[in-house]
Amino acid sequence: MNDLLLDIDRLSYRYPGAAQPALNEICCTVSAGECICLTGHSGCGKSTLLSAVMGLLRGGRLSGRVSIARGMGAGSGSCPAGMVFQNAESQLICTSVAEEVAFGPENLCVPPEEIGPRVLEALAAVGMEDHLGRNPERFSAGQKQRVAIASVLAMQPKLLLLDEPTSQLDAVGKAELAGILTRLKRLGYTLIIAEHDPRPFAGLIDRYLMLELGSLIAEQKSAPGVEYFRNRRTEPVACCWAAAGSSLEVAGIELAYPETGTVLNGVSLTVPRGERLHLFGHNGAGKSTLLRCLSGLERPDRGEVMLCGLKNPQPEQLPGKVGVLFQNPARQLFGETVREEVAFTLQRLGLTRPEWELRVAEALEICRIAHLVERAPLTLSFGEQHRVALAAVLAPRPELLLLDEPFAGLDFPQRLALLDILGELPGRLGTTVLIVSHDELPDPRWADRSLILSGGALGERSW
Amino acid sequence: MASAPGKGGLRRTLRSCEYGCQFVAHDSPVHRLSAGMKLGIGMLLSASAAGGRTPATLGALVLVTLCYYLAARLTLADLWRDIRLFMFQAALVIPLYCLVHGPAKGLWPGIRISTQIILFYLPGAVFLRTTRSSEVMRGLRRVLPYRVSFLVFVSVRFVPFFFREIADITAAQRLRGARLLPRQKLNPRNWPDLFNCLILPLMVRALKTADEVARSAESRGFGMYPERTFFSADQLIRRAGDTGTAQQGEPSAPTIRTAASNSTVSS
Repeated sequence: MNDLLLDIDRLSYRYPGAAQPALNEICCTVSAGECICLTGHSGCGKSTLLSAVMGLLRGGRLSGRVSIARGMGAGSGSCPAGMVFQNAESQLICTSVAEEVAFGPENLCVPPEEIGPRVLEALAAVGMEDHLGRNPERFSAGQKQRVAIASVLAMQPKLLLLDEPTSQLDAVGKAELAGILTRLKRLGYTLIIAEHDPRPFAGLIDRYLMLELGSLIAEQKSAPGVEYFRNRRTEPVACCWAAAGSSLEVAGIELAYPETGTVLNGVSLTVPRGERLHLFGHNGAGKSTLLRCLSGLERPDRGEVMLCGLKNPQPEQLPGKVGVLFQNPARQLFGETVREEVAFTLQRLGLTRPEWELRVAEALEICRIAHLVERAPLTLSFGEQHRVALAAVLAPRPELLLLDEPFAGLDFPQRLALLDILGELPGRLGTTVLIVSHDELPDPRWADRSLILSGGALGERSW
Repeated sequence: MASAPGKGGLRRTLRSCEYGCQFVAHDSPVHRLSAGMKLGIGMLLSASAAGGRTPATLGALVLVTLCYYLAARLTLADLWRDIRLFMFQAALVIPLYCLVHGPAKGLWPGIRISTQIILFYLPGAVFLRTTRSSEVMRGLRRVLPYRVSFLVFVSVRFVPFFFREIADITAAQRLRGARLLPRQKLNPRNWPDLFNCLILPLMVRALKTADEVARSAESRGFGMYPERTFFSADQLIRRAGDTGTAQQGEPSAPTIRTAASNSTVSS
């Protein structure tokens, strides 16, 4: 436990063209068998530090030293450190689990007869040994994460780095991952987890290193700011705003896929105008499918959807009435400036320039990004892009706003800020807000009503 | 879970939570062919499609290609997933030919070009759906350097991923007012939407994904040595008796083994 495994000495790094360094004089050591949590808000340098340890930073200005002790047991067919990236999906390259896990050892020139046992061991360590021949593309987020970990374990690293491993996981997935990491720690692996919300791993973390703007600002044994996540906010939540009529009426919708069978099984729902609704469900519960039905992208097998007075509407009928924000904002950004991006739907609705300029200014002000109006959306940070995408769907003052996993990729303060923005919408624009997520709301007081989608049916949540 | 019977039958058959060209891990005569053989058959069929001019030739090619497709134990629903984008393209090309040359002279060339494009592409879809990545890498390695073969392999491997991205981007943009429906694309005034709202975000996603894949491969030792070994995963899979044909559902609880069975992974 006391053998020094990782030594980082005055490590600094500046990305090409960046004004500020992403890492600033980082000094720390990690002993063999420890579990370290790198924590801090989005953009604090957690992922950059992990990339620096792996030697993956290209271009830019790097100074300082990173050394990993190879020590006993590190042969030519192993690597000192392995990294599991935030997006497990793009980490998986091969068409079967066995090939995926064998990819690393093949690159390390491990003889083929030694690779098989390594593959089986690595998969056993993450509980995926029964899925050798399956295509990882068809796995759930949690299963993909486990295959990604196994693909690194097969290279027999002593140091395992995980970048935001829970970002795509629901509560069940997080608990499973925490169990796997606990087991790996028991097996002697040294773990460094970069995570803005370390609560799922509290039981196995030995030390917390807190980063802020690229600098290491604190090191402590206890979880930093637990009270911060407990949400002891005292600010009042915007009060409930209700108007006559309903924005959304769903009557008995059923939908099945040939591959998976029934996903929605008689879902009925009425959402009064101005309501703030949270629809919770675990990964694979059918939340996104329901959202696709509501937005006209999928036609249910049975049942009816009445959306802002439109019966079973087509997506083309919805701009201006209904705003839909999907998980990854980069999928909808293309404008040269934020103004152009936010104005797109308004121009399509035929508003004159003075009219749309007013609406754009209003949406940017609501989303607290008026200062970004001339910036190129694709050059902004993830959190800023998220706000631009939200402003773009809010600009037409929609009667109903549907959000699919809006908290994915955002840290806790960003989540709270987003919730504040969404909480104002009913009173300010008369917009009904429906959040669909596998995460709990950062402030449970926000929702006027909370529902759970499970087994293809909706139910009220009990607290 | 069982499907609800009755209404929405055809719609449900054609609906899919999967995307075109995804590898299907079952056994079939085509699966058992070597990667080189499949490439050879594919090139022959594609070349024939490019050269076919008469209705009789194209009709025969449609039959042969369809037989090849079905011999891989792929279904008509799979076929629809693989070619639906090309059907939209056909819906664009045929009316354009009729518009330019008149219905009498333009109809057959429009149908011929659209059919040729689909027939040219379909053997590639069969290859992607029936060939394991290790077979592709091993096959390509015989004719290409290791790094180049990986590049070619990854480019092909991510075709299904981009099919899914196209679907997701299109959905998000249609809801913002972009004119991306096939019938809307018939109007040249809507073509800028195709570039701005679909192709541009797709390129951004492609570049980002390429960067992530490169970093992931590099972190797993790719390029560390001038050569690599090739492991035959098929034998391991067969020995484990898992052909991957079972329905894939929610993640199972991890099986925790005793520490003794994993002694080599401990430092």
